[in-house]
Amino acid sequence: MISERMKKVILRALRLKEFDLRDETRAYEVPGWDSLNHVVVLAAIEKEYNLRFRSHEVLPLSNIGDLQALVDRKMADAR
Amino acid sequence: MGTRKECTVRDKLVYHCWQNHAIRYPGNEAIVHWDALGEPFRWTYGSLLDVSDTIACSLIRSGIETGDVCALILRHNKFFYPTYLAIAAIGAIPAVLAYPNARLHPDKFVHGMSGMLERSGLDWILTEKDLAPVIDPLTAAGQNRIKGILFPLEWTGSARTGNRNSLPIGKRRDTLDNASPFLLQHSSGTTGLQKAVVMSNKAILDHVNNYSAAIGLSQHDKVVNWLPLYHDMGLIAAFILPLAFGIPSIQLDPFQWVTAPSILLHAVTREKATLAWMPNFAYVFLADRIPDDELDGVDLSSIRMLINSSEVVRGESHEKFFNRFVKYGFRRSALSTCYAMAEATFAVTQTPPGSDAVSLAVDSQALAKRKVLPARGVGPSKLCVSSGKPIPGCSVKISDKDGTEMPDDRIGTVLIRSDSLFDGYMNDPEKTRLSKRDGWYISGDLGFIHDGECFVIGREDDVIINAGRNIFPEDVEDAVNTVPGVIPGRVVAFGVEDAATGTEKVCLAAETPYLTEKEKEALKLAVKIAGMAVDVTIQEVYLVPPRWLIKSSSGKPSRKTNMARILSGDITRGGT
Repeated sequence: MISERMKKVILRALRLKEFDLRDETRAYEVPGWDSLNHVVVLAAIEKEYNLRFRSHEVLPLSNIGDLQALVDRKMADAR
Repeated sequence: MGTRKECTVRDKLVYHCWQNHAIRYPGNEAIVHWDALGEPFRWTYGSLLDVSDTIACSLIRSGIETGDVCALILRHNKFFYPTYLAIAAIGAIPAVLAYPNARLHPDKFVHGMSGMLERSGLDWILTEKDLAPVIDPLTAAGQNRIKGILFPLEWTGSARTGNRNSLPIGKRRDTLDNASPFLLQHSSGTTGLQKAVVMSNKAILDHVNNYSAAIGLSQHDKVVNWLPLYHDMGLIAAFILPLAFGIPSIQLDPFQWVTAPSILLHAVTREKATLAWMPNFAYVFLADRIPDDELDGVDLSSIRMLINSSEVVRGESHEKFFNRFVKYGFRRSALSTCYAMAEATFAVTQTPPGSDAVSLAVDSQALAKRKVLPARGVGPSKLCVSSGKPIPGCSVKISDKDGTEMPDDRIGTVLIRSDSLFDGYMNDPEKTRLSKRDGWYISGDLGFIHDGECFVIGREDDVIINAGRNIFPEDVEDAVNTVPGVIPGRVVAFGVEDAATGTEKVCLAAETPYLTEKEKEALKLAVKIAGMAVDVTIQEVYLVPPRWLIKSSSGKPSRKTNMARILSGDITRGGT
């Protein structure tokens, strides 16, 4: 499930005060999260969690739940 | 291997070029269909034409006639290319349209398509099965002349690999001459207001000959492209041009590129690509958005021209790109520019190969008064970048509002004359009449000439150019007018230069009776969501009280006046 930390990072990157983000939410459903801003959101998450995404990891992501799962996996690998 | 001189086509039809390459060099690579998650698929001229001919048979069996306009609405797929060629092979007219973005509301897509069907005279839609539920109402309505919807990606067996001599494809082409229409393309823009132009075989062949001379095209060249093929720059420069000359192009998925921009640079490295075209924002996007560790092994030394076109060229963006990628072998002389539009087939002006675009530092205050004065070192200045000189077969001049030609260093409307100029907008004689004066096309772009170089600095009208895409403000305003809390008709959308992204950002001001911060925050979000329904990201929303927006003489709120008022800081007096 999407964490509060992840939610805050995404909203801050998109300069949104509030938006109902859920696991099944897709980027195109969120105001401001268009194709050009996608890398801005990913960069903000990388900075927050101090990790790096690779192209082959982010291309198949289909919703926020996938993104959270990827972050969780990379954090676990780093430990 | 050929030389520049050999890079000329003398065929009657564009199809004949492809056919000649397939006969003479069947094993030569035509298109490398790139997939960042797998191995690329490599079409040779032989295999491409083979599959194209069999698809052509299926198109004939489906009832497509010579001269029918066939809209292609497909995502990145290796069968897009032979399908495009197949439509041309039977004398029908291909028109590439954007597959609807998931953000675009289906009703808006259907509305836009209905307008396009009416104006562009589309006869057939070739698309993916997934789109059928959205697109079916267009045929059910019975209000347009659409002849059918086909799903070519579903075709298997003989529809794709059958006996290609079973139907007289060649006889279809025998009825064509080089005045026959070859393709239909739309002036870039939001769906509802796109204008369709048809280009003949002659216009295309003249253009590729003239443009190839301007860029010194040779058989050593290899094009790499991430642009969507519904965009004239992607279609003509990165698809039609290389195919006409029998050179390879590497076609990337635009959605993969924008998610992982480094794939372009890895494709350049692996394929040793020499040419690419991009809008200005992409220079900043690539320079800013790729971490160093994704650039391991990247070598950009093969690129001889990276051509900036489709939006205002910004000197700062070029510098940023060069400084970031010089250590990966990128040469300054590859920073090329071009001024282009669908109405002129594509290119109008181009910088020469082997030297970067000329820059001119000018006084910003004089520029605002439509004068070009060299920057004096005091006061604000702007670095204008030349889009080069007219290519063979093209002329450019600058005129004032009355049509009088202006001397060098005076800002006015850019007028264009070209061997490959469109005859008119399809089914729109009024817009056609207004678009030309004494054989010159009135571009609507603002620019000036300096030492024979053409500098384009913006638009005369209110069109917003965001990331190479033309956005008509009225489309955004219409979408926002219906948002509860916004006073209908009291909305203006406008573009504001954003140096950080190298393009214009979409801003919107709306009058509202709401007073509390909570109401206003909710309204700002609703306005942004309304923009999403027309596939526009509204980056800034300014809410102002009733009667705050200044009206123009037409009685509607003036975009330019209100934008200036907001940017001057006047928003703080009553607005948020």
